[in-house]
Order: sequence, then structure tokens, then C-alpha cells
Amino acid sequence: MTENESLPSVPLSDMIDRFIQRIGVTVAWCYVLLVLVIILQVILRKGFSNGLVALEELQWHLYAIGVMFGLSYAQTTNSHIRVDLFYSHFRAKTKHIIEILGILILVLPFVVIIFLHSLDFFYESYRINESSESPSGLPYLWAMKGVIPVTFGLLGLAVLSRLYRDVVLLFRGE
Amino acid sequence: MDANEIMVIAMFISFIALLFTGIPVAWVLGGIGIIFAFIGQFADNNLDTITGLDYTTLGLVVNRLWKIMDNWILVALPMFIFMGIMLDKSGVAEKLMKSMQELFGRVRGGLAVTVTAIGIILAASTGIIGASVVLLAVMSLPAMTKQGYAMPLALGTIASAGTLGILIPPSIMLVIMADQLGLSVGDLFMGAVFPGLMLGGMYIAYILTYGFLKPEAAPIPADAKPVNMTTVINVLKAVLPTVLLIFVVLGSIFAGVATPTEASGVGALGATLLAMYNRRFNFKVLKEVMAGTMNTTAYIFAIFIGATCFALVLRELGGDELIESFLTGLPFGPYGIIFFILGIIFLLGFFLDWIEITLIILPLLAPVISALGLDINGYGVVDNPELVWFVMLVAMALQTSFLTPPVGFALFYLKGVCPPNVKLTDIYKGVIPFIILQLIALLVLVFWPQLVLWLPANAYS
Amino acid sequence: KNVLLKTPIAFGSHLPALGTPIVWVADQLKLVSDGSLKMKVYEPGKLVSPKEILGAVSSGKVNSGYATAGYWQGKMPAAALFSAVPFGPEAGEYMAWMYYGNGLKLYQEMYDSNGYNVKVIPCAIISPETSGWFKKPIEKPEDLKGLNMRFFGLGASVMEKLGVSTTQLPGGEIFGALEKGAIDASEFSQPAIDQRLGFQKIVKYNYFPGWHQQATIFELLVNKDTWGKMSKGQQAIVENTCKASMTNAIAEGEAMQFPVMQKAKESGVEIRYWNDEMLNTFRSAWDEVAAEKSAADPFFKKVWDDMSEFRKGYDLWESNAFLPRTR
Ligand code: NA
Ligand code: NA
Repeated sequence: MTENESLPSVPLSDMIDRFIQRIGVTVAWCYVLLVLVIILQVILRKGFSNGLVALEELQWHLYAIGVMFGLSYAQTTNSHIRVDLFYSHFRAKTKHIIEILGILILVLPFVVIIFLHSLDFFYESYRINESSESPSGLPYLWAMKGVIPVTFGLLGLAVLSRLYRDVVLLFRGE
Repeated sequence: MDANEIMVIAMFISFIALLFTGIPVAWVLGGIGIIFAFIGQFADNNLDTITGLDYTTLGLVVNRLWKIMDNWILVALPMFIFMGIMLDKSGVAEKLMKSMQELFGRVRGGLAVTVTAIGIILAASTGIIGASVVLLAVMSLPAMTKQGYAMPLALGTIASAGTLGILIPPSIMLVIMADQLGLSVGDLFMGAVFPGLMLGGMYIAYILTYGFLKPEAAPIPADAKPVNMTTVINVLKAVLPTVLLIFVVLGSIFAGVATPTEASGVGALGATLLAMYNRRFNFKVLKEVMAGTMNTTAYIFAIFIGATCFALVLRELGGDELIESFLTGLPFGPYGIIFFILGIIFLLGFFLDWIEITLIILPLLAPVISALGLDINGYGVVDNPELVWFVMLVAMALQTSFLTPPVGFALFYLKGVCPPNVKLTDIYKGVIPFIILQLIALLVLVFWPQLVLWLPANAYS
Repeated sequence: KNVLLKTPIAFGSHLPALGTPIVWVADQLKLVSDGSLKMKVYEPGKLVSPKEILGAVSSGKVNSGYATAGYWQGKMPAAALFSAVPFGPEAGEYMAWMYYGNGLKLYQEMYDSNGYNVKVIPCAIISPETSGWFKKPIEKPEDLKGLNMRFFGLGASVMEKLGVSTTQLPGGEIFGALEKGAIDASEFSQPAIDQRLGFQKIVKYNYFPGWHQQATIFELLVNKDTWGKMSKGQQAIVENTCKASMTNAIAEGEAMQFPVMQKAKESGVEIRYWNDEMLNTFRSAWDEVAAEKSAADPFFKKVWDDMSEFRKGYDLWESNAFLPRTR
């Protein structure tokens, strides 16, 4: 719905993007689950005076999963916000060059460094079988921390797909 | 000027410069953070600096990213986006806007006034800026376009009304400010009520005046019918479900059934039920709503994530000390310093968002303000009245940061849901009058602190 | 060689007793070491948020941090016992166990055996917290049933056993939730700190004693590689400044509560003391919780047994040495 502009087709990139989008729309069910969990919590607490810390935590788990998987999804739909003050007036070729340089200099270093550090962050948590610090909270907190490397891996893939698309389009002269 | 200071300034300059290339804001922020971390490491090795920045330190970005995930307050954001998109698909928004349009059909700017009024109501329910702007835009932009409103007026109204939520309580910003300065959240909430309503009132007054002076910008629809009993009843019928929904959301908060976060979930369910009631709900709609929620939420949070990297490196470079030492060295009188600080916040608001300003700048200012020895009347009840008042000034000044280009979050959210033919520059044009109104409101608060302090002093006694 | 300790902290430095001690430590370290040791304090969340401090120090992303071990319960269940224990020791007894019993040894052992590359130094201790703010008086255990209460740490398990549903809202969210009735009660900290959150404006019944936190210890964590690179003299300066900070923090905490309580009383807050029935109920629920935690985690059991052993011995002294308290 928020696709800012549609780029010409490049088969390999299209395939990767479709793959990421399929993951995205599947994970998007977490938002429906989130609605249900919130309602359940409200009913349990107010109706039966029995709110659960575990349900509270499940809420931010679901939200976080949605947000993190959304990063790569929004990358494939080209929705990340740009200041289009000048950008919208650039020629297609200029846009491709900017996109390629931006990905190589700004985006990939950022994504790669977070990805590498998140592996360590996840492993530290897994090693001690980290659970919620609340006594009645959820176990396996490390699984949530594992969401970071997975989603940044997907984001990296989506960014590479975009890089390939722009390189091809640049040489094709579109 | 030492190497650290040069790096801080270079960071800001390269950020601003790279923004205009059109590379996504989130990635500009994140990428610059990474680059300057390595510049810092190089400086440590080759120049006489102690930035302490290196590959290992950058790992803190992951810890900070985790805190964005592990945040119960922010759960409300996707839920209100869900609610907004669902309301859009449910056809309820059209009905509501259409009927409101009939009711206000003969008032110039009536539709825009409705938008502001709904904005105030949304602000009082949560104040998630992104969600308010998105909801107002999807509900009213098509109707305003159809009615022939001048695009800048329509866009400015939506962006400004959606931004009210950060001031009118409950407000995440005030919660964070209270936390930063050790003030009572209750005092800040109460203190923000009159300033928030005043600002909303000024918007409405402006829209009516503008419609009166420039009739072609806010045209009365050609088919505007006189209001009779039937119209009113039809309007009530059409309005009822939505009003009910807002009552459920607001009511669940004020009746203590749900926290503001949970109310967002209640709202999302309510919108879904409304869609079912209107027979607009099916599997395809649900899938569109889910995908839309995921997409919109994600591009907003990408900026949070990029900004957290940028802010980390800025702080490690000592960017905050640089600002503090500069401010404490100013040669003006008390009110001169206050105006100067507000001016700086206004200018910073062009490029930074309120979270960064609240977290970086505000804690540095509190001791400066307390030391000014201002005699602000807190009626003996409000603790640190001068700080409560000052925080409200800052909050009012930060309102503008949502609307000021090039980095204005309300503008981005709005752009996200506008039809593709609406350019960011159209939105920039639209918000200028509303920014001026905010500055006038700010001036009123500076010279009339009781507007802030009377309610907290009397609310709990 | 000069050392700069970059120290993110878990509580804002403006919060009396929670945050002020580490600022004092930073000032003193520079003076006492003649500038060879510097500590730069980063407010909560500025570099890294409170809950992330342990991981960041251990991995060397920062070289030190100031927090309380209770924050690491999810990582190591026993951690809670090194920050505050329900029906646990008061400050004097806690320090006795820490410095002259096995406390400190076990404390360090916990981090070592869990693979954390940190040196732990107790660096502040504060006096009791209040037991919480309630909208209605609580006279008997049944009055607790069905309450929604903000509660943190081991005490939360106790409250849940008694039919309270607990949430763990952060400090800034409590006021709004309490005011709107989303929760009916809340504990947070000591009177002087609670007052800053404004509870006294909306809730009338402030209960004492804070059975869940009679004394709370705060820790300075230093990355072990950084620690190893410091001279013996520098290490001693850090350890002794922290020990001095224990004295400073408890003195500050003891001095600042009564004026605030007096003011609260004058504005209509009812200061109440739990009756014996309630205290006994809390205690037996805690005993159950402690038994469950001991069964679930061997190291928790080890620490709990050691502390209990020490306290059993201390009882002989305690029950004879002190005057009964007047109320
Ligand atoms: Na609000
Ligand atoms: Na701005």
C-alpha cells in the first residue's frame, strides 16, 4: 500500500524480494495475535482479576517480532522514508548511482556490524538460558534475542537485492 | 577546538548533507554513526583523543536496539496503525467524514475543524503521533481532496492536529521528560492540559479565519444542504459507531479498564468489529491490514534504530558536553537564556526528533534553569515549579520539531499514507502557518506560567 | 597509567540514594587517586539501558557499570539475593555477611561461574523501602485478593502467591496507571523517591515496613580486563571508595526519609504499619517461594543456605543486642 515508486523488474531481485515478502506477510499475523493477546489480558485482569505478567511480556514479544521482520519487508516495498526535496527531481541514472553508493557506504556497513554483534548478543543469552527477569515471566528470552540476527540477515539480503537491481538497471540504462 | 568537537560538528553536517541525497533517513543516521565510530578509533590511534570508539563499542547499538524491542509502551504504535488502516478499509471513515461534512457543510473550513477536533480526541486517548497522523490522514484526506480544499491547508491541518498528542496527556514525551528530570509525571500531565487545549483552539480559530478570508481554499461543497432534523439524525446514526469506538478506547483508559497501551489493542479490535458490522470485513481485507501495519510500523522503527546508532556515537564523542559547556557560558539574563534555549531547541527540531532532544539536551538544561533563580509561583504544592513550567515550554517547542522540515516525523508519517502525487514539499508548505501558531502559543506560555501551573496545583487538593 | 572508567548507571543521578552515590564515587575517585583514576558517569539509557549493563561490561563494550544485581535475575536466579531479600537482613547484617561472611565470595563466584568477565564491588546500600501505596486499607490477607499491583523482583512472586496480579511497569508509567485505575497499588522505592513520582497525590495508604526490601545493595561492575590492567593501588582505591560509598549512601538514605514522610502525613497520607497477621502471611508465602527457587536452581540454593546459616548464627546476637523499636 505504501510502495513509493515501483522499480523496473530484475528477475533475481524480484525473486529475492518475493521470498522476503512472503516471510513478511506470514509474520504479519503476529499483529492479529497481538490484538487477541491484549484483549485476553484486559479480560483476565479486569474480569477475573487475574492478569498475567507472561501475557504482558508476550505483547512486546509479538510487537518486536513484527517490527523486526518488517524492516526487510519495508525494504523490499521501497517504503523507508526519504527526504525527497531534491531526490524526486533526479534523473533515473542519478538515482541508481546514489542508491548504489548509499548501500555500499552507509547501509551495508551498518547492517553487517549490527548483524555480527547481534550473533554474540544472542549467543551470550542462549549460553545462560536467559529468561525474563520477572519471576512469573516468560522463559527462553534468548529466542527473542535471536530475532535480531535473523531479521538483520533478511534485511541484508533485501539490501543486496536492491543493490543488484540498481546495478543492473544502471547498466541497462533504465 | 579539539578533534572531538570537530568530529561532533562534522557528524551533524554530514547527516544534513546526506539527507538531501534522498537515501533513506534511517540508513543515513545508522551509516554515519558507523563511519564516525571508525573515524573516532582512527583519531584515538593517531591523534590525541580518547573517544574510546571502536568495533567493540559499536556492539552497544545492539543492546540499544534490544531496548527498542523490549518496550511495552511502544506496543501501542502498531496497534493504532492497525486500527487506523482497519477503519480506513471498514468504510467507517468515509461515512464519518461524509456525515460530518454534511453537518459542517455550510461552515467554511468545517471539515478541517472536524479533523482538528478528532485530533484533540485522539491526542487525549494516547498521543502516538504517527498513529494519529496516519489515522487522520486516511480518514479525512480523501474527503478534503474531493471537497476541493487547498492541498497545503488540508495537509497542514492533518499534520498539526495529529501532532497534538505529544502535548495533550497522556503523552509518552512527558513521561520520558519526567523520568529524565525526576519530576512528577502527574504534575507534567496536568500542566500540559491547558497548553494543549489552547493550541488546539488556536488551530481551529486559524482554520475558520483562513476559510473566511480565502473562501477558495476551503470551499463549501456545491451540494451542501441546509441542516435540518433529518440530516442531524442521519449524521448521528453514521457517527455513532465511530464515536462509540473512540469512547471505548478513551473510556477503557479513563474507567481504568486498560492502560493506554492496552487501549490501543481494544481500539484495533473495535475497528475490526466495525468493519464486520459494515460487512466490509473479509480475509483479503485482513491481509491488507496486516501487511500495511507491518510496513508502516517498520519504516518508523527503522528511523528509531538508525537514530540510536547515531546518538550513541555522538555521545561517545562528547557531543552532549559540547552543548552544555556552550550554554552555561552564555552572557544573557534569565529570560534571555530561556529564549535562547528555546530557539536552539526549535532549530535542533529541524533535524532531530524529540526523543534525541529529550534524552540528549533536556538533562543538560535542567541545572541551568534551576540556577537562574526564577520566581515561578507553584502555589506551594507543585515541586520544582520552574522546571515543570520549563518542561512545558520545551514540550511546546518540540511540537514544532514534528512539523519542521527536513526531518519532521509528522511529515514523514503523513507522506507515508498520502497518494504518490503528494510531494513532501506540498506538506512543508502546509505546516508553516501551524508552526507559527505553535511559536505564538510558546510565547504565551513564557509570559503566563500560571497556564501551566494552576491545574497541577489544584487538581489533587 | 591513567584509567578512565566509562560507567553507565541504572538510576538517574538526580534520584537521591538510588543515583546520587555513584556521582559521589566518581568525584571521590578523582580526588583520592590524584587524577590517575577517572570515572565518567552516563545517565540511564544514554549509552546503554539499565538492563543491558551487565552484558555490555562483560563484553567490554563499556569498561564499567553501576546497577543492582536484582536486574540479572533472568540470567542468574541467585542474583536477586545479592541486591535485596524479602524478610532479609537489614543493612548492618547484610554488610556483615557480605564482607565478613561468604557473601562477597559467592557474589563474585556467581558472575565467574556464569561466564561473565566482570569484577563485582558492592558500592552503595540503602535503607528499607516502603511496602507500597494502596488505594484502600489492607487489613487481612483476603483484602489482597484480586488487586492489580506494580511489584518488582522476588517480592512479586510472594504477592502472586497471595492472589495479587502483578505488573512490572517502569517508574515513569506508574503514576498514570495508578491514577486511571489500571492498577490499584504500587511499590517503587523509599519515601523520598516515591514522593518524586507523586504517589501521595492520588493514593492515600502508604504501608510499611517494606518486608520485600529491608536493605538494597548496588554494585559497581568493572570489566576484568580493565581491572587486570589497573595497578594494585588503583584497585584498592576503587574498592575502598566503594566501601566508603556504602557508608555515605546509607547515611544519606537514613537522613532524608522522615521529612518527606512528615510532609506526606500533613497532606493527608495515612502511614500504616502491617499488622502481625499480614506480616506473617507475607513471610510464609516468601518461605514457600524461597523453597521453590532453591529447588529450581542449585546456585540459588547454595547462596540461600549460606545466607540462612549466617543469619541463624546472627540471630543470637541480634535478639539480645538491640533495643526493641518504639512506634
Ligand atoms: Na496525548
Ligand atoms: Na523537524
